[in-house]
Amino acid sequence: MSELESVINLCRMVQSGKIEPFDIDFDYVMGVIQKHYPKIKDAKDFCLDAEALKELSSVLERQNQWIEHKSTTLYKDPFMLSQSLMALDIGAIADIFLRSWHPLVEMEQISARTLAESMAYWGDLVPFAERWQDLDIEERETGIATRDEARLMGIILDEGFTETIEEFWKELGERVGPGGRIDYWDWIGAETYEDSVYRAYLTVFMVGYGYANADWDRLMEEHTIIHNVELRPDPGQAKVSLPVMVDYEEWKLWRNE
Amino acid sequence: MAKRVSKSQQLYQRKLKDAVHILFFTHHKLPGVRGWELRKELGSDWQNILEVLDKQLQPLDLKVTQVLDDPDIVEPTSTQLQDARYYITMRGTVDQKTAKTIGWRIDDIAGLAVSVAYIISKQGKALRQDVERVLEEKLPGWRVKLNIDRYINQGYLGEDEQGLLFLDWRARAEVDSKKLVDLVVSYGKREQGLST
Repeated sequence: MSELESVINLCRMVQSGKIEPFDIDFDYVMGVIQKHYPKIKDAKDFCLDAEALKELSSVLERQNQWIEHKSTTLYKDPFMLSQSLMALDIGAIADIFLRSWHPLVEMEQISARTLAESMAYWGDLVPFAERWQDLDIEERETGIATRDEARLMGIILDEGFTETIEEFWKELGERVGPGGRIDYWDWIGAETYEDSVYRAYLTVFMVGYGYANADWDRLMEEHTIIHNVELRPDPGQAKVSLPVMVDYEEWKLWRNE
Repeated sequence: MAKRVSKSQQLYQRKLKDAVHILFFTHHKLPGVRGWELRKELGSDWQNILEVLDKQLQPLDLKVTQVLDDPDIVEPTSTQLQDARYYITMRGTVDQKTAKTIGWRIDDIAGLAVSVAYIISKQGKALRQDVERVLEEKLPGWRVKLNIDRYINQGYLGEDEQGLLFLDWRARAEVDSKKLVDLVVSYGKREQGLST
């Protein structure tokens, strides 16, 4: 261990209370730091030097606290105090403590109102027998559906998801022109609410995958979708997450306009 | 004739009752309430209400105790008062007989007294091993470790990750540190005087 490391450890012993702050000779520690300073060659040496200075300043802080403590009325010579404690028998120590002890008073009590509220709660509580009743599950035979049937039921899409998004992006380009802008509701709004939700859903992915941009002006409450001329659907890039709300009332307002 | 009470007096009485409910009954895991909680419940004159309550508790040997986060603060600011904890404690002290009835053995009380006094002498922080060593002079070793754990659980002492013990919230609320240290030292001097 180097001389600087020993000095650091010595200073740390003050922090952990193993030695008193004034047991450290400031001039000696500072002398060691000064001696090593011109020999610094690399970053590691610099770090060690800085650490030694930091630990020494912590010692100075503790020395300051020690002086402050000594100046308070609470200060009594530790040696004298521990000698006094050792000289006292257990009964006397307990007696002294009781003369400076003011125990806390606290109460725990249930009130009539709490009881009444608890009774009401109990009354509303569904019995366990009812809560744990078996669910009424009907056993059904598994069946087979064709791809077309699944498509008709809306379980799978007509085409791949990427193709759907790209079709959607082309539609945006045709409506607003390359790099054009359109109001969010004018873009997602459709004849039915369900279709509007579907368009909003696709819009989220279109923006997320870099086919379009979204401009949310919260001050003016203007929400715009911007067509991207160049695709940025790089799967390696971080995706943008766009939380949107398709409020039913807002859709109705848009429809009436 | 029934004494007529003004509306403002009624309001003050109600606030006093509220203060009693807040301070006496356990609301949190730890006893006591913060100043800002009292202000929220009692309004801007919460400190005056506490003062009146303290006077009313005097005949019952109880008092409102204020414990600041930093025990060294002499004149707290309004913010520091709102961060302080408030408790109801005994105004006077208990004798050994009463202490026993509330579950304290004489050894436990003495152990706590020595731990508290020792930590104070070490500027508020002392290594657990050192405190144990001091206690082991007069108490069996197995009991010393148990007792220190008990003092920690009860909130009298705290222990940090370096194994240093310090005075925790309950010691700061219940123990008059200055009086304890003064009594220990004066008792020691008296014993010395008698022996010489």
